[in-house]
Amino acid sequence: MVLFKRKSKRRVCVVGLDGVPYELLLKLTTEGLMPATAEIIEGGHLRRMKVTLPEISSVSWTSFMTGTNPGTHGIFGFVDLKPNSYHIRFPSFKDLKAPTIWDKLGKRGKRCIVINQPATYPASPINGVLIAGFVAIELEKAIAPASYLPRLRRLGYQIDIDTLRARQDHDFLFQELDRTLEARHRVVDYLWEEDWDYFQLVVTGTDRLQHFVWEGIEDEDHPYHQPIIKYYREVDRLLGELYGRFSRATDGEGFFLLSDHGFTAIKQEVYLNSWLREEGYLKFKVPNPSSLEDIKEGTVAFALDPNRIYLNRRGRFPRGILGEGELSALREELRRKLEGLQHQGEPVVERVFLGEELYSGPWVDMGPDLVILSRYGYDMKGSVKEREVFGRTGLQGMHTWDNAFFFSKEEIEGGALHITDLSEKIIGLFD
Amino acid sequence: MKGFTLWFTGLPCSGKSALAKGAEEVLLERGMKVEVLDGDVVRTNLSKGLGFSKEDRDTNIRRIGFVCHLLTRNDVVAIGAAISPYRQIRDENRTLIGRFVEVYCKCPIEVLKKRDVKGMYLKAERGEIKNFTGVSDPYEEPLKPEVIVETDKETVEQSVDKIIRTLELMGYIPPEEREEYTKEEEKEIKERLRALGYI
Repeated sequence: MVLFKRKSKRRVCVVGLDGVPYELLLKLTTEGLMPATAEIIEGGHLRRMKVTLPEISSVSWTSFMTGTNPGTHGIFGFVDLKPNSYHIRFPSFKDLKAPTIWDKLGKRGKRCIVINQPATYPASPINGVLIAGFVAIELEKAIAPASYLPRLRRLGYQIDIDTLRARQDHDFLFQELDRTLEARHRVVDYLWEEDWDYFQLVVTGTDRLQHFVWEGIEDEDHPYHQPIIKYYREVDRLLGELYGRFSRATDGEGFFLLSDHGFTAIKQEVYLNSWLREEGYLKFKVPNPSSLEDIKEGTVAFALDPNRIYLNRRGRFPRGILGEGELSALREELRRKLEGLQHQGEPVVERVFLGEELYSGPWVDMGPDLVILSRYGYDMKGSVKEREVFGRTGLQGMHTWDNAFFFSKEEIEGGALHITDLSEKIIGLFD
Repeated sequence: MKGFTLWFTGLPCSGKSALAKGAEEVLLERGMKVEVLDGDVVRTNLSKGLGFSKEDRDTNIRRIGFVCHLLTRNDVVAIGAAISPYRQIRDENRTLIGRFVEVYCKCPIEVLKKRDVKGMYLKAERGEIKNFTGVSDPYEEPLKPEVIVETDKETVEQSVDKIIRTLELMGYIPPEEREEYTKEEEKEIKERLRALGYI
């Protein structure tokens, strides 16, 4: 009786698993470590997905929520530069220049509940409830409307783990991960009971543990392998509960899972500003620069985290020296040299993109001139303090752009899937 | 946004060029079109051939003032940085331009002599440079400058900040758009991003 299968109005539930790569989800589900998720996946279609560059959460999630690329939504990284300046700033949700899924659904009278969405701080009002995720600081500013604040406090809601301490103390990391996930689970239970059309939860603990103990995922003898598996089992339990509730209330269509980027092990960190300095493209006023503000006249190019290169153009930057006529040849020169960069005989760079090859829209000029797609294992960094081109810190995992995942009950037609394709498809379900 | 002229006056080595550059950077950051007319540079082109007699000095300052006037009426921020020792000529420029903000770079001559890396004050005192302002030529302090920066007591950043705040208060430029985050919040965001290797 297909006609009567839909038990109520159309509903959509989206669960994000920050940074979980396609291969890892496949492995955990096929090996029986995430049984509930395995069952969900069996009933639909799991696809590998590419994301926008830079492949970091603030950009990826913004691309997801707006269905656009950074040239249109205006978010190119966790950090950006003030206009005509080398001063770093931290773009916030106020910098977003394109409407989100829930803006669009809200206009159609649909009520949305969005929990722990990165890159939405400070939260602004939506038709429903928005709880901002990373880099949210104060809970007061992370919740819209503010009337939900007392209840979230009572439920012990915690925006994120204490990453500073967790990076050093991995026992503490797992305590924090559990505590945060449990509190999120309580808030999910509470808000699920409200009236909603669109429900979204993002789990960010996955990304955190992968940064700090990626080796423990790959190595079964690693001291943190079991705690990692235990955490994924908890995530699995939450997913299973959500899917169970969702499919009891609906026909099951409209349930989506996704990650915002993939992950892999770090072989080497690559300090782009050191490379630019060595090659003579970047000059500092002082021997030990503390920021890009120390850039000296004569600088041709500099890098911003994680993999963005900016040409020091006249009119764009205070000590800019390059005129329009010089840009094209220089970009090609940098592209060629970077694509040839090696570490101990191994190529480091997969491809160097020109800004216009990646971005389209009114804000392309705000973006970088070049974006470097590294080979797996080579984590690009924009630090100005490093002296060597290659090095390692305590971090074990790095982001990747071509192995995020997307799951939907319905088969999505077409070729390669991209994170910017999703919002239109999701909104289309309400037609 | 309407143009205006920011006019730096003061003795040699009093910090006019450095402050003009600092103010230029801030105004560019705020999205304004800015042009700097530095006295030393102007003497190599616009006023090439002029000397340091009172007549030549007046001509030089009138020329800079005229260009500032043209820029200002075309909604550019013109920054003039020249000793401009005579009050009467500075006031002529003020009248011509209208939207005119005078910045007096004040500094005791003893400090200037110590600061003087090219040794010009010493040469002037020895008579090797003639008509040197502050030694063998007069400097008339402004009577009512919009800003006085005491460059022996303030850092370049503090002086630039004072100038910019005056421009904001006088309505020549809009107040700086407040960043979304406070300094404390920025610090915390930075630490969190650093912990995850994002910066």
